[in-house]
This record gives sequence, structure tokens and C-alpha cells, in this order.
Amino acid sequence: MKIVVTVKLVPDTTADKRIDPATKRLVRTGETVLNPFDEYAIEAALQLKEKLGAETTVTVVTMAPERGKEVVRKALAMGADDALMLSDPGCEGSDVMGTAYALAGAIAKNGFDLVVCGTQSTDAITGELPGALAEFLGVPGLTYVRKLEIDGTTLRAERETDSGFLKVTTGLPAVVSVTKSINEPRYPSLKGIMGAKKKTIAPLTLAELALEHPIGSGGAKTELVALTDPPARGKGKVVEVSSGAEGAKVIMDFLHAKKLI
Amino acid sequence: MRNVIVFIEHSAGKPRRVSLEIATKAKELAAALGGKTHAVILGKGARAASDAVKAYPVDAIHISEDTEIDAFLVDPQVDYLEAVARAAGPALVLVPNTMAGRDAGSRLAARLGAGLTSDIVDLSVDSGKVNCVSPKLGGLTITTCAFKGEYGVAAIRPNSFKAVPGAGAGDVNELTKPAGKSYKMKIEDEVVEVAGELGVEESSVVVSGGRGLGGPEPFKTILKDLADALGGAVGASRAAVDAGWIPHSHQVGQTGKTISPSLYIAVGISGAIQHKVGMRTAGTIVAINKDAAVPIGEFADLLVVGDLFQIVPELTKAVTSNAAAHT
Repeated sequence: MKIVVTVKLVPDTTADKRIDPATKRLVRTGETVLNPFDEYAIEAALQLKEKLGAETTVTVVTMAPERGKEVVRKALAMGADDALMLSDPGCEGSDVMGTAYALAGAIAKNGFDLVVCGTQSTDAITGELPGALAEFLGVPGLTYVRKLEIDGTTLRAERETDSGFLKVTTGLPAVVSVTKSINEPRYPSLKGIMGAKKKTIAPLTLAELALEHPIGSGGAKTELVALTDPPARGKGKVVEVSSGAEGAKVIMDFLHAKKLI
Repeated sequence: MRNVIVFIEHSAGKPRRVSLEIATKAKELAAALGGKTHAVILGKGARAASDAVKAYPVDAIHISEDTEIDAFLVDPQVDYLEAVARAAGPALVLVPNTMAGRDAGSRLAARLGAGLTSDIVDLSVDSGKVNCVSPKLGGLTITTCAFKGEYGVAAIRPNSFKAVPGAGAGDVNELTKPAGKSYKMKIEDEVVEVAGELGVEESSVVVSGGRGLGGPEPFKTILKDLADALGGAVGASRAAVDAGWIPHSHQVGQTGKTISPSLYIAVGISGAIQHKVGMRTAGTIVAINKDAAVPIGEFADLLVVGDLFQIVPELTKAVTSNAAAHT
């Protein structure tokens, strides 16, 4: 079975994230890391591979500039077999739909039985890519999965809802997105890190995908018109209390003053 | 785009409040675009939900109680939404930024070749273009994006607009079943773990607990009691979720949900950056912590320093008696 995991490079959450005012694009020259949500997707794929046996492969696919290679190596160090990297200047300025469309092209070209995605990325936080990807690939898109089993070509999953979960079954091929409840991602072992250096990161260009519709900034269906700073949120009142009743009174007076109760 | 289509998410015939918030905003946008508003309500209970939606200012209500809608995940909804969108012509489609809303919205956008924006907290029309405002990068930057094509899909964060009743549709249009469709994602069973609660994304009051709660019990007792008294939802920090004290669906923050309730009460939460990015846009933030030097003190409107196990139950009592005095 061919499992494909989508990964994204995101700015390190502890680094200073900013958008270039001239190009209105995210400055990606700072520290980049593997999107934390994607680690759960890689782990889920690796666990399936462990169950399904050696003929199952896990391929990581990403759309990122060449310098993102080191981040992709982390996924390989965790245990993925190889990677496909769509590095093309023509991808720059893609919105979520363009990204999903290009990734669908790369995944279809590679071939797949199952695509595993993280729920969302920590920079854009759209959570919209898995659904769009499924639609472009023309396969079921089972999102927010917290438990996943494969039995032959049947996929059984628990899908999170606000009040619990749904038990859903579907067939392969399919796209799933997994939540952080699904597993505890492994740390790359030293052996994995050494081994990752020998694994293939195959470059891919837009020309090779021969997509029907344009992507990148020219193909984007949305445009950024403005960037503003959020309203400042300053330090408020700090009150030390010596009893529960006193604390409750301080809060009640505050909520009354704010007309919140 | 001229018309505005609103995907009404409902639970057994009761519209989710976010859907009514969006329906209210949709009227203003449609007026600016020179079009009409269409509400789409799908699945079991759609007719009952349409009665509630009639009290809001939508021009047309489209429903279907096709049993396949509840038997299969998302795909039938997308087919119905697509049919309404194509019939309406170039349109702005508004979905709630919830799991179900994002799911339907992303698939629909791919079908329509539409632009897609998400986690939108404000919308406006400028020279015929629809501008969508959304905090990105964990709220460090506010972006305004406009749609370029004929169709646009926007996922709206709950609590971004007020739901205000107004003169609306009299007629309810029963949608025709899309022909030649077969569905693959079969819903075998629904398991309810926390009944009758609004999720943290949608509640206007969220009471969250962190490491300071010390275990799973206080989430079910003192925290839940306070949330119930305030008519709110129970949230949690990553530390509490990772410790297995409460399910991930309650997590607020970078690897959880990003929310904008009007009141956020953080109990025993230090307020590290990973948590802050999920709740910094709340209307008012109150923190209860034993330590005066916690990071949350730098951006909470009120930090009460004391024993949460004493303060929270007293606060619940005070809220309850206050409510009783006003009814």
C-alpha cells in the first residue's frame, strides 16, 4: 500500500513571525520547523506501515523552497521512506486552494492508496487543505480522525465532533486528516537521523505536473489587500486575595462593571 | 459575486448560534452587493430549524431532509450546497468556522473553483469586492483578503457577529435530490461523550483549566459547575489535554482551537504563548492563579491571585445567586 503524508514548513512558534509589507507574503527566511500537526500524520502513517507490513511505503510530500529540505529530513528520520518536494518559484504566492491543487497533482502523479494530513498548520490555521485535497483527488476526505484502522481496502475511523465522535467507514483510496488525539509522535532515533541522510528527496517542478489551472500568485483566488497590527492587549489589574469568597467578590465586581453578568 | 449563501449548521432542528450570527451579517453584505441571502439547511430536523431561521433576515430558505445527508459524512451536504450556489449564480458562501463548516466549505470551494478564506472575524464590501478579515500567525497579524473570482467561500469564526432577528423569508424551498450521486463515507454510529454542551469555539463564555487543576476531577466538578452557572463551555490548556485530563476537543491554543468568546476565564493556566494565541482575541480575560508572576498576568484584564480550589466554587455560588436575583 502507498501512503502519502503531506507536510508543511512553518515558522517556528518561538521565532518572530512577520509578513513582508512590500510583497505581503510571510517572511520564511527565519527558523522553519515541521508543522507540529504533521508529526501526528507521519506517526499515524508509520503505525499503519508497521501493521500492514514491509510492502507498505510512506512518502512525504511538500510544497516548499529547496532550503526546506532539512525540515523534510525530520520526517524521513522519523521513519518515512522517501519524499517528494515540489520546489518551484511558480508556487510562490499560492493560496490554500492553489496549494491543495498542486499537491493533488503531485500526489496523483506519485500514486497513492491513502493520504494522511495533519489537521491544520500553525501559521495559516485554515484547516481547509485536507478537504480541498480530497475534492481535487476525487476521493473521500475523512477529516478530524482520532482513531484509524485499515482492514483490506476498508478504512474505519473515529471522527471527532464537538460533543464526541462519529464512527465512519469508507473505502480506499482516501484522504484523512488526523488530530493530535490519535497518537504520540515518536522522536527520531539516532539511527533514523543517520538513515535519513541516505533517503531520496525527489525534486518536482510544476512543468512535470502539467497542471490544467495556474497556481502561485497568478492563480490565487484571493488577494491580500491589507495587513494591520492587532489591538494591543496590556497588563490588567492584579489582585491578591486571601479567601475564596474574597476572590469571588473581586471577580463578580469586575464582571458587573464590565456588564458581563 | 452578488448573492450570499449561508450554510446553517444545526443540531436536531436547532440552528447553531453561529449560523444565526452569520445569517444576520449576510443580510448587510447582500444589500451592499445588490443581491439576496439564501439559507441552506440540511438533514434531519431541517424543517424545524427553518422555523427558527425564519425569524432572521434571510430572503430564501432551502431545505432538504434527505436521509443520505445524515447517513454519510459531508459529501451529500456539498452536493446540495453546490446546487444552491450554481442556481444562485456568482455568490459568497458563508460557513461557520467549525469542523462541519470547514469540511463542507473546503470541498465546495474546490468544486466551484472558488477562493477560500477561513477563521474570518469580520466581513465588509468595498466597491463590489468582499473583504475578509482574519487574525493569522497566532494573532500577531490581522490580514484582510478579497476574493478575485465569481465565487468565494468564507468560514466565519463564532462570536464574530451578533445574531439579530429581523424580517425574513416566508417561503421554504424544498431542494431536489442531486441525481446520480453515490456516497462512500458511511456514518455507522454517533457517540456523544459530552451531551448538551456548546463547544469551546461557539460559547460566548469559556472557563478553561490548566496544569493548576492537578488532575481530571476538577474539570468535571468545580470547573464544569462554574461553566454551567455562566452558561459557558469548559476549555483546557495543552498541559491538561496532554496529561489526559480532558479530551482534545476542549483544547484552546496553538494545537487546539482559536476562539473569541466575550468572556474567557483561565483557571490555573500560566498563559504560555501556545495558549495565548488561541484566546488573545477574547473580549475580556479573567485569570485565577496562585502565582502573581504568571505570563497570563501580562495580558489578562484581571488576574486574581489565590487558591483556585477556594475561589472557583465561591464564584459559582455568587454567579448562581446573582442569576437567581435577576429572574
